[in-house]
Amino acid sequence: MNIEAVIGIEIHVELKTKSKMFSAAPNAFSKTPNTNVAPLDMAFPGTMPVVNRQAVVHGIRVAYALHMEIARTLNFDRKNYFYADLPKGFQITQRFHPLGKEGYVTIFDLQNQPKKIAIERLHLEEDTCKQLHFRDYSLLDYNRAGVPLLEIVSYPDIHNGVEAVRYIEAIRNIVVYSRASDGKMEEGSLRCDVNVSIRPQGASFFGPKVELKNLNSLKNIQTAIDYEIARQSQCLASGMAIVQDTRRYDEAKGKTVSMRLKTEAIDYKYFPEPNILPIVLSEAMIEEAIATCPELYEAKKERYERMGLTPSQASVLLSDPAMASYFEAASEGSENPKTVANLLIVEVNAYLNKTGNGANISRFPLPPVSLKRIAAYREDGYTHQQCVEILEYCLREKARPEDALVALGITKADNDEEAIAAVVETVLAANPQSVSDFQAGKDRALSFLVGQAVKAAKGTLNPSVLAKALRERLNQEK
Amino acid sequence: MSFLDRSIREIHEAYLRGETTPYELTLEAIARAKANQDNALETLDENGALTFAKTLMDPEPENLLWGIPYFAKDNLSTKGIETTASSNILAGYIPVFDATVIAKLKKRKAVLLGKTTLDELGMGGTGTTGRKGMTYNPYAPNHDRLIGGSSSGSAAVTAASIVPFALGSDTGDSIRKPASYAGLVGFKPTWGRISRYGLFPFAPSLDHVGFFTRNVDDAAILLQALAGRDEKDATSSDQEVKDYPVLQKLSPLGYKVAVIAEIVDSLTDPVMKEKFAASVAEMKQAGIQVDEVHLPHELLSSVYATYLVISSAEATSNNANLDGIKFGPYYEGKSYQEVMCKARTKGFSELTKRRFVIGSFALMAENQEKLFLRAQKNRARIVAAIESIFSQYDLIYGPAAPSVAPMVHPKTEMNTIAENHLAIGNFGGFPSLSLPLALEEGLPLGVNLTGRIFEEEKVLALASWLESYTGLAGLSALNAKEKQ
Repeated sequence: MNIEAVIGIEIHVELKTKSKMFSAAPNAFSKTPNTNVAPLDMAFPGTMPVVNRQAVVHGIRVAYALHMEIARTLNFDRKNYFYADLPKGFQITQRFHPLGKEGYVTIFDLQNQPKKIAIERLHLEEDTCKQLHFRDYSLLDYNRAGVPLLEIVSYPDIHNGVEAVRYIEAIRNIVVYSRASDGKMEEGSLRCDVNVSIRPQGASFFGPKVELKNLNSLKNIQTAIDYEIARQSQCLASGMAIVQDTRRYDEAKGKTVSMRLKTEAIDYKYFPEPNILPIVLSEAMIEEAIATCPELYEAKKERYERMGLTPSQASVLLSDPAMASYFEAASEGSENPKTVANLLIVEVNAYLNKTGNGANISRFPLPPVSLKRIAAYREDGYTHQQCVEILEYCLREKARPEDALVALGITKADNDEEAIAAVVETVLAANPQSVSDFQAGKDRALSFLVGQAVKAAKGTLNPSVLAKALRERLNQEK
Repeated sequence: MSFLDRSIREIHEAYLRGETTPYELTLEAIARAKANQDNALETLDENGALTFAKTLMDPEPENLLWGIPYFAKDNLSTKGIETTASSNILAGYIPVFDATVIAKLKKRKAVLLGKTTLDELGMGGTGTTGRKGMTYNPYAPNHDRLIGGSSSGSAAVTAASIVPFALGSDTGDSIRKPASYAGLVGFKPTWGRISRYGLFPFAPSLDHVGFFTRNVDDAAILLQALAGRDEKDATSSDQEVKDYPVLQKLSPLGYKVAVIAEIVDSLTDPVMKEKFAASVAEMKQAGIQVDEVHLPHELLSSVYATYLVISSAEATSNNANLDGIKFGPYYEGKSYQEVMCKARTKGFSELTKRRFVIGSFALMAENQEKLFLRAQKNRARIVAAIESIFSQYDLIYGPAAPSVAPMVHPKTEMNTIAENHLAIGNFGGFPSLSLPLALEEGLPLGVNLTGRIFEEEKVLALASWLESYTGLAGLSALNAKEKQ
């Protein structure tokens, strides 16, 4: 019997807004617990929720990017339950009328074929407070209480760990590039609950659903899903029942561990939030939100490719939104964005890696305009090596490229025919063995000779012109 | 006669003439509060009130509320002053912010004397369920009469003439019923007219902030001061605030008034029936069109059940924040469940728990359709019926209560249409005002006027006309004998 896994994913995204979902407290990172707190966040009696407009705008943009039907009226409901991290004793969410419904996102499946993953709903809600458990007491930090959340619920259209990861990446690209969220799994600004069940291939029923939690990286999600599919398949094969439970991923052991059984579903006693009247979302407001949405990942990727970048160059730049912004600033109006991309991907990344400690482009000291200038030098005929020297000088001395050029005494490599001819003759004379190797058909000898010529020219001559001259001269000798 | 027995406007004029000062009046009000035996206060903020009153030196001619002493119901958040909603679960809770109405009065330099008792968390209509026990009706010095609730203390301090006005809240009839039992003008304007920010919620879709005064002009003054859009209450309206004190003087002679026959027919007190009929006759005599209209009996009989289901359902959710973790008495426990369970078991009275159970039951998935949603549908039916009356009439006139304040241990069932109909004003958010009609053996009888949403001025204008007909402006427990 062939087994098929059925996977549905719930993603919670923390939204980037100035204030919280329903209160005026700052929605910002704070090292000190309980500092970003308004009376509402601690549910002081008499406080009332006021909807954060920016969160709604974010929600509309993401719903649009996911091809969803966008609600024309914004409604909120109460989800009632008692828990230590839930200050009001209810969470304000959108149960009955989600902001977005019935959409999809396209990913590539295991065979790299495009596949649509259907999305059931997208809704706005608020986060709970953070609990810190100690041996005989717990602490509560209300900084997180009321942070705006966007919940995106997929249909169970996903069939393996790779698809799951690609689905989450696609959602993350949308929320990150629309600037709705940081989308950082490690920091909890993008959180996934994954439901996994198995069934015979092609069956229309569902097996018992297991919910996976504590998945704080894409790698963990893939491993956890793979583990879970294998575990459930083994249960099935050995005739054991698959228990409907909630499982935690144990990163150290690389396996899932049962946290609690899923007994009867909790009755959340949902009802409409009486303190927020339905808010009409006008066509104009929705259109404005969509029209002003920052350019999304897919659109950027296509644009970069039209600019001449290879798909892999585009992907590398887009893997970090800050890198993409840097690239866009440095390539703006540039004749050859590919040169900028190349400098960024190879040289700047090398510098960042060397710096270490999680250094990233947002802390890269060279302004984009300087990198643009260096790329322009490259276009103008300076050699790559010269440009790298300029870059290094600028970083070391905190100088401008113009000043680096003067300070380093670099002059443009030129195409002086006499000089080229002289270098060619010198190199050929000094390396008779390589010459005869080349003539014996060993093409690799040419690369060595070009290297020698570049060295002899001390960077003053254009390497591609040198290579061309060498080949012509050697072919003459044949 | 003390200035405390006067209207807001008269006190204001006395201040302008230099006949008294806020400090003197505050001292006197404190003395009256201390002498009062009606168990009306949760907190008397003697120091706070006197310290503030002392700073009020130069009367502001345009500001009628300058230096006017008042009390607020203890379910309105007051920064720095313990606010318990008369529930043990909030014992010791000192808010960090003022309700918007408190902030507005502070800005107008009215002097807050303290906080008044209520039925626990606003849930109840008797004035008997607060943590401090029963609040008495100042009209019955032998303490054998209820004052009603839930705004019991606010009604008592106004009726006892300790202050010229007090703030209350009204979810079913919590201002208008005690106003009727205590011979006061009790007004809850349109839902959304006054910000509810800082009002401890009982049932937000029905909750209103309002006030008790001893005359209609004072109610108009307060409405103008307290109405208006508040960014902190998303349900508050941005409709223009009208000049109610001027508008309430307009003649109501062109108005069309409806009297719902089924409500009047359910009255059993002959004096009430007679006085009510006389007032209708007098209106007609004066040229106001008053017509009898009909509503299905079953619809009116369903008001209380509908109210109980919706308000209890909302209440159980609104009060879920009271878990002993963030404020109020904390009890140790091995788990969060135990901590919450102890706080709620010890913090709430049995009656309150009962309402929570009813509300929770009505919201359960298997019961929602036949209880909560059915109640909501019935609420919509009732509102539609009332709105159809308002399509032809400006106002609805009726009894505010079946009779005078009930005995503490009533001998008769209190579940008539006339007993419960005021909740209709909450269902539709209509502006609704009670005022005294007459005195029966020294005890007040009250009537009610309800109008179209955001037409408070018409309610006030007819109330003002009725007030001159009854001659009961300024009525209090102190002067009731003279007014009889």
